[in-house]
Amino acid sequence: MTEQKRKKIFGRLQRTPKWKKEEFSELEYEPKPVKELLTEMKDISELIIDLAYSAVLFNNEEMAEEVRYLDVQMDKLNYDIRMMAMMAARTKEDAEELAGILQVAEAAETISNAAGDIVNLLSKDKSVPILPKILKQADEELFRIKVSSASEACDNKIGKLRVESETGMRIIAIRREDCWIYNPQSDTPIKAEDWLIVRGTNEGYDELKKFLQGQLRALE
Amino acid sequence: MKKKGVEEIVLEIKDKSELMVDLAYSSLLYDNKIIAKEVYDLEDFIDNLYRNLQRQTLEKVENKKLSVTDALTVLRLAEAGEQIADAAQEIADVELRDVELHPILKLSIRESDVVFTRVKVNTNSILANKTLGDLRLASETGMVVIAMRHGKKWLYGPTKNTRIDAGDILFAKGPEDGEKHLINLAEGKTQEI
Repeated sequence: MTEQKRKKIFGRLQRTPKWKKEEFSELEYEPKPVKELLTEMKDISELIIDLAYSAVLFNNEEMAEEVRYLDVQMDKLNYDIRMMAMMAARTKEDAEELAGILQVAEAAETISNAAGDIVNLLSKDKSVPILPKILKQADEELFRIKVSSASEACDNKIGKLRVESETGMRIIAIRREDCWIYNPQSDTPIKAEDWLIVRGTNEGYDELKKFLQGQLRALE
Repeated sequence: MKKKGVEEIVLEIKDKSELMVDLAYSSLLYDNKIIAKEVYDLEDFIDNLYRNLQRQTLEKVENKKLSVTDALTVLRLAEAGEQIADAAQEIADVELRDVELHPILKLSIRESDVVFTRVKVNTNSILANKTLGDLRLASETGMVVIAMRHGKKWLYGPTKNTRIDAGDILFAKGPEDGEKHLINLAEGKTQEI
């Protein structure tokens, strides 16, 4: 898939997609490099686990919807990669090697199904849910931080701020007004009033929080 | 050994299953059968944890310490973790087969958002003789060490108290710009973290 197509799924501002509409949409053979398909499947398989646990931890139905959407995308990618692999096999050796690729793709798909199962655990009733209580004790935690207009982060790109390499905190999603950006890319800007969903250690969280609240001028 | 509680086991399944996915992808990237075998061992370990969890959860329900709804929720979350572990095992399985890996596998893992890296710690590196906790490596460089090789010994999912020695080989994952920093630190080219 081209860089442009990748962007369609990641790093763009969007409303929660209607995954149901896409669930059984028609599949057509369209040549796409197996490598791009597999890279995308791997990326989704890693993001979707974090998103699913975040959805449960923050009891957030919108994030759960995104997980379901990505799960549907994953189904499609898995279909595409199977078609491409069949077209690519010419010899016995090809078939042996391509079988390995399909097995990895299938595993990525299994992971996204598991993530789908996790978000189905979101509590529907008002009682105190048990899962957030448990997940809060994890070593590497998921956190939410709001960006203050006083922060130096405002209107700067994530790549330029080097958020992850300076704090170890990986931004999983950004909530901007009533829209979401999932798996923001290095060219995604941070804006005042954004809510960031991040993953990392307690120390990294403290530093990033101070920076995003304007108490710290720069990350280092 | 202290008996682990329900919450502890659920978290352990979550952490270990995520570690397994990382290890499985890096076993393909480095064509490393030792790491792939570890994924297999971890899968057994998770199976045991899961069985243990099922028993404890049911006991708690019997003693009226946990509601049926909560018990089901906990077990289903753990089941998802177990499935993720199974998927990781499937990935590692590709490495363990006696078939040449398709070059695309390595390329796809290399080009993804999160990169894996492997680096040897030099004697003049500031990482040597310190623990991961002292170094605050993850929060300073963004790179999380998922496995280490110490002489002939391997260590998977190191903790804060794990000490790095000169000559150790670190397997880490993180952002692209963190990779360079870690390599320079390990090679002793950068003396400041």
